[in-house]
Amino acid sequence: MVLLALSIYPLLYSITVSLQQETASGIAWSLTHFKRLATDNFFRTAMVHTFVYAIAALTCEFVLGLALALLSNQQIRGRGVFRASLLVPMMLPTVVVGVVWRLLLNPNFGAINGTLKQLGINTESLTWTASPRLAFLAVIAVDVWQWTPFVFLVLLAGLQAIPQEPYEAALIDGSSRWQTFRHVTLPLLKPAILIVLLLRTMDLLRVFDQIFILTEGGPGFATEMISLYIYRTAFRFFDFGYAAAMSFVLLALTNIVSVVYIRFLQTKEE
Amino acid sequence: MRLTILLILLALVPVWICACTKPNSKPQLTLALVEGVEGEAFKQAARDYEAQTGVHINFAQFPYQSLFEKELIDLNAQSGAYDLIMLDDPWFPRFAGNQFLTDLTPLLQKRGQTGPDADFVEASLNVCRHPYQTGALYALPYVGNSQLFFYRKDLFAKHGLKEPSTWNEVLAAAKTIQEKEQGANGGKMYGYVMRAAQGNASVADFMPIFWAFGAEMFDANRKPAVNSPEGIAALEFMLELGKVSPPGYASFNADEVSAHLLQDTAAMSINWPAWISAFSDPARSKVIGKIEFATLPGARKPGQAEIGNWLIAIPRYSANAEAAMDFLLWATTAEQMKRSALRGNPPTRKSLFQDAELVAKFPAYPAQFRSLSTSRPRPRTPQWNEIENAFGIFLSKANSGELSPSEAMNQANAEIEKILQRAQ
Repeated sequence: MVLLALSIYPLLYSITVSLQQETASGIAWSLTHFKRLATDNFFRTAMVHTFVYAIAALTCEFVLGLALALLSNQQIRGRGVFRASLLVPMMLPTVVVGVVWRLLLNPNFGAINGTLKQLGINTESLTWTASPRLAFLAVIAVDVWQWTPFVFLVLLAGLQAIPQEPYEAALIDGSSRWQTFRHVTLPLLKPAILIVLLLRTMDLLRVFDQIFILTEGGPGFATEMISLYIYRTAFRFFDFGYAAAMSFVLLALTNIVSVVYIRFLQTKEE
Repeated sequence: MRLTILLILLALVPVWICACTKPNSKPQLTLALVEGVEGEAFKQAARDYEAQTGVHINFAQFPYQSLFEKELIDLNAQSGAYDLIMLDDPWFPRFAGNQFLTDLTPLLQKRGQTGPDADFVEASLNVCRHPYQTGALYALPYVGNSQLFFYRKDLFAKHGLKEPSTWNEVLAAAKTIQEKEQGANGGKMYGYVMRAAQGNASVADFMPIFWAFGAEMFDANRKPAVNSPEGIAALEFMLELGKVSPPGYASFNADEVSAHLLQDTAAMSINWPAWISAFSDPARSKVIGKIEFATLPGARKPGQAEIGNWLIAIPRYSANAEAAMDFLLWATTAEQMKRSALRGNPPTRKSLFQDAELVAKFPAYPAQFRSLSTSRPRPRTPQWNEIENAFGIFLSKANSGELSPSEAMNQANAEIEKILQRAQ
């Protein structure tokens, strides 16, 4: 009953809200909100930003995380410290991360430009969050900084769960290191990869707090993500119907991406 | 719509519980306040009133951004949770236009007054009326903020410059100072500094230039007209000012602008009175006694500041409108408003701007009074939040070099037109 009230009722209600339109004579059923999606440039741009951002950040996080996990899975000195220090960014609340990076990236007083200046690099044009391209790179970099450790951790757990036997067999068959990685490690790591890609994709598509703190979607519209636009529509402009409509489109797209992942990674296993 | 809002309101239950417990013989009032110095002064006044009269007063205090949400949710749901609300004047057209507020004139008449006290600054009373200036009175002004022009009088004197009365003089002075001066620690001294982050920041810093150049957001037929030749010229001028502003200003907010002035790395800016006290605080300011406060420069038209008053209104569904009105009138008397002024809030009464004790404590009062008296509000429309957001995005895009001034204004105009059409 509680579950029904807390989760199902709001969901159903948001569907009705997205399909209703307030008119002078009362509330009418209509597809206005969904039609508006097709003509809304802000919505389209924010969607494109969100997907470019998600793909870029996910790629970096996955490649880095996998490399670190493989490295850390070997017997090297000091790997305990290495692992522990890698986890620090992940433990910070995203809001804190946003504030810290906002300070670091300040073009005039920030530590990053300060350091570069000490090294004799001209920082006049490195305005980070004030220039559209650099701001987009900056928000990607911050997410990579914070969430690569998570990818690393899951993949490392996956690596350590792989038994030794297949490796010994591969060694006996005389396979090269690349062949071992390609035909032994990767297939056995698939469940971990699936989990990490799924979780990160969902998180990236609904990213909100660190960007809200870091750039608020700016400069201009350069780092506006769909979740920020939905928030603004609902709570700044008080248009719940349109915000609900956008949320459903985002939900549908996230679902499609998830299904594609699961299909892709499962069929390959057979 | 109402049901969803009720659900959201469930989250607010803790706030009301105090408002709904044990009915008393004395009426109880619940106030919705903003955090920070403006809300604190009003809260203090409420405590004094409680001690004097025994009327129990409850507080619901929120940060600026969420105050708007909470109030609009309450007003929409007609729950009557609040008996008095503090509101920023740009929210007023939306609240009053939706018939969410109590008309104060009948309540004044019951108390033998024909209208609000003539001591209130007209510009401040105008924003309390719907429609603007001429309509019914739905609020009283409590904090009389309006923009000021801040400049470094020591540097102006050093280079033989006089107080700028036009934007062209501002630009010329900024170029001179940037060329000849060094900032703190041998760094660069910038002639000007402004906010051009999308949203409220860029719009607030641009409107005085926009108006001075003779541009208007809406033409006589209420059609958007930001892409008029005057509007484009104003944006071109803003980009000129950007060349003498610190790099990265396209993402600046109030904090960064004030930091540059306080740290002795910029010479001029538009700013709000709330920052004045920071400039004489040795812990924060490297420029104590070097900043002068003036009214805004003009161009084709005399300079006009944007008004940013805090108003107090009684929601239409408050069950205690009479008691709320008694308190509202008491809190806005000259005597009580002076207490609020001493706590750091600019008043909205003419007599207080001339009060000797206050002027001695706040030397910028004469400039603040001139600025407030000639100020004008942001364009009055219930869709202001949405329009400001869209307009700010295109201003920021122009300032970060993504769009040319005419492209930015054309696209902004088209977007504002869409917003207005949707609202019809």
